[in-house]
Amino acid sequence: MKKMMNQLGESMKTARRWQNASKAAIAVSALSFLASCAKDAPQDTWQPAGPNAERIDNLQRPVFYVAGIVGVIVFAAVAWVIFRYRDRGQAIPEQTHGKPALEIVLTVIPVLILLGVAIPTAGTIFKLAKTSDTEMTINVTGQQWWWEYDYPAAGSNAEQYGITAPIVTSGQLVIPENTKVLLRVTSRDVIHSYWIPKLNGKKDSVPGRVHLLRMEGSKPGIYAGQCTEFCGLSHAYMRMEAVVLSRADYDKWVANQLEPYKAPEAGTEAAAGEALFIQQCSRCHQVNGLANPDGSLIISAPDQYLVSGAAPNLTNLMTRNTFAGASWDLLTPECRDNVWNASSAYFGERYLDGVSADCLNQKDLREWLRNAPAKKPMYADPTKLTTTGGKYRGMPALGLTEDQINTIIAYLLERK
Amino acid sequence: MITTSSKLFYGLGAVSVTAAIVWTIANDGGALGAVALVFIGIASIFLGAIASYVRDGHVLSTDTAQHDSAPAAQRGPGRSWFPLGTALSLGMVVVGLVTSPGIFKVGIALLLAMLGEWLIQNWSDRASADAGYNERVRGWVVHPLEIPIGGALLLGAIVLSFSRIFLALSAEAGPIVFAILGALVLFFGSVLSIRRGVSRGVVGALCGIVLVALSGVGIATALSGERQELTVASAEDHYAVHPCGEEAEEYDGSAGRAVSAKSSVAATVTLKDGVLYAEMDGFSGPLSSITLQRSLNADILFQNEDAGMHRMIVTYGKTVEDLGGGVKKETVLQTCTAMIGQGGAQQIVVRIPKPSFASDVPYTITASGIEGASIEVMVP
Repeated sequence: MKKMMNQLGESMKTARRWQNASKAAIAVSALSFLASCAKDAPQDTWQPAGPNAERIDNLQRPVFYVAGIVGVIVFAAVAWVIFRYRDRGQAIPEQTHGKPALEIVLTVIPVLILLGVAIPTAGTIFKLAKTSDTEMTINVTGQQWWWEYDYPAAGSNAEQYGITAPIVTSGQLVIPENTKVLLRVTSRDVIHSYWIPKLNGKKDSVPGRVHLLRMEGSKPGIYAGQCTEFCGLSHAYMRMEAVVLSRADYDKWVANQLEPYKAPEAGTEAAAGEALFIQQCSRCHQVNGLANPDGSLIISAPDQYLVSGAAPNLTNLMTRNTFAGASWDLLTPECRDNVWNASSAYFGERYLDGVSADCLNQKDLREWLRNAPAKKPMYADPTKLTTTGGKYRGMPALGLTEDQINTIIAYLLERK
Repeated sequence: MITTSSKLFYGLGAVSVTAAIVWTIANDGGALGAVALVFIGIASIFLGAIASYVRDGHVLSTDTAQHDSAPAAQRGPGRSWFPLGTALSLGMVVVGLVTSPGIFKVGIALLLAMLGEWLIQNWSDRASADAGYNERVRGWVVHPLEIPIGGALLLGAIVLSFSRIFLALSAEAGPIVFAILGALVLFFGSVLSIRRGVSRGVVGALCGIVLVALSGVGIATALSGERQELTVASAEDHYAVHPCGEEAEEYDGSAGRAVSAKSSVAATVTLKDGVLYAEMDGFSGPLSSITLQRSLNADILFQNEDAGMHRMIVTYGKTVEDLGGGVKKETVLQTCTAMIGQGGAQQIVVRIPKPSFASDVPYTITASGIEGASIEVMVP
């Protein structure tokens, strides 16, 4: 009787352990599943917004489903074997070696599955590598820790899109909708990787090499991305956005970018900001058309101060929505939402409004101007530049006063 | 009791003493040789006496229990090469002192290694009465150093030998010779692998012969010197960028070989029928103007499809240096390829720090000796 009671107690304990383990497994599975249900996920690879990303999506979905089914079968089989044949003190079963028929079947099935994956994969790779149908070409240059975009004034860029002089911008790649854009991706310092998940896959940017990446957006909007190759201290802050505009809006954007420099009115706070900009910022940042009082153009010399040899061109800063490697918005959250959530019909108009004084994200921009390395980690400590010959990686703290920051902001607000 | 080994020492002692007497008589009382021989005689007789006393370390035939356990019944330590190695490296140190610092340094390193090995060998030989165990003990201590260092040295010798052979062979013969050698290695390797019962000794001996042959040829070719064009190129600082106007024998004469990359370049510039044009990925057709990013190391490939020797010249503004007293020195910023013959190609890296609108004169790519052929370079 006592023995029976003991056995019953052991069985109940075992049952409770299985129950607890099952609950834990269900909870982990549920959490994992819920974690995939992000509401605001601008870098979701499952929501393609262009033909190139759709090609990838058309390939990855069936592969994901097949791999998922195979995975479930394998895990279930392993779990069943572990449970069914667990050690209960039984004798070791008869050992056999080799079952040719089973082995052939278990080899042929994966081969067939892999062939089924390989054929469309090869087709997709070739389609994504096609460049002969290019309608627009843009140079994309990575450096620690921001992306520069320049639009060459050549070929169809000039003939069809009115880019009669090179345009340089950063943070946001602006392209016309339904246009086959080819990015020529390279780097000034270390290896980075360019990725706008909703528009295409990744492409490494490697110093000394030019890699090609197709880019096309099907409808106006902003599509977020992130550097996907660890590239140093602020890799996590090396973000990017692709802005897709309707053709009419894109033409307006190009025309605006090509407009000559307009100096601030004399005696204004912006004019004081211009003088301060020349003194403090123009060593690294180029503003096209900015001139000395004698009329000579001011040419920045970032190659003398920065390891990468380049700093963002700020000619039309306030036509962009972001700054500091697209890590922060130039727009306040309300104004940002107004642009990001605009319907296709109104998106271009709102984006082209740029950044107004009312919509300027003063908080982050001021923090940046006060002490940039404190906001975004950079190798910008002047006492620790011996290994780089005195050159910075990123923007140093300039020691600006609040009044100086006011004047700089007043000047920058006119850069659009 | 006069034992077997003591006979040797007694005999040697007697011969030495006799020789000392003969030396003294023959050299009119010369002391040095006599003293040396007498000392050898005394030492030999002393060693003979010890051998007699311990009866050559032999166990009495009646003491059967000692036949297996006595130290003399144990396998003695094996031969050691380290004393010889130490002597040789010491010789190398001495030779290095009077000839070359390099030999001296290698000698010192070898001497330290040999002494270390000798020390550990000596220690391990006394670790226990079991010689096999002693050998294993030695292995635990020195193998972590011996194997990687020995492997690295062996690999270094092979690589060095190959490189010397390559440098001595002509550029045309090198690939042929090594293709044949590779095929032979593959053939004999295959034959050995499919033959059953090939002993490790045979394989080891073959590898040893090949290694010795390779090293020998490497040393011979190293002594015979590099081929002529490499010697000239070395004197010209190889393919370092030269001033655009100067011409150099090897740099300009064999520039086509300097191309290291032909894909993923920023632009390909071609000279054909007196016309210079560029091609860039992403742009269809030939271009008469190209855009290069500022402060970017841009690789530009130059192909000469034209008759004659030409070089590509990239001109990107000028610098003005104030020498004082109202004197200013202007330097045109240029970089260029070597002179390329028809069908040749060369790549250069161009890094332009200033935008093109900073210059009064457009940035250009031109070809030497071709008037009017030009490509505009825009730098935003």
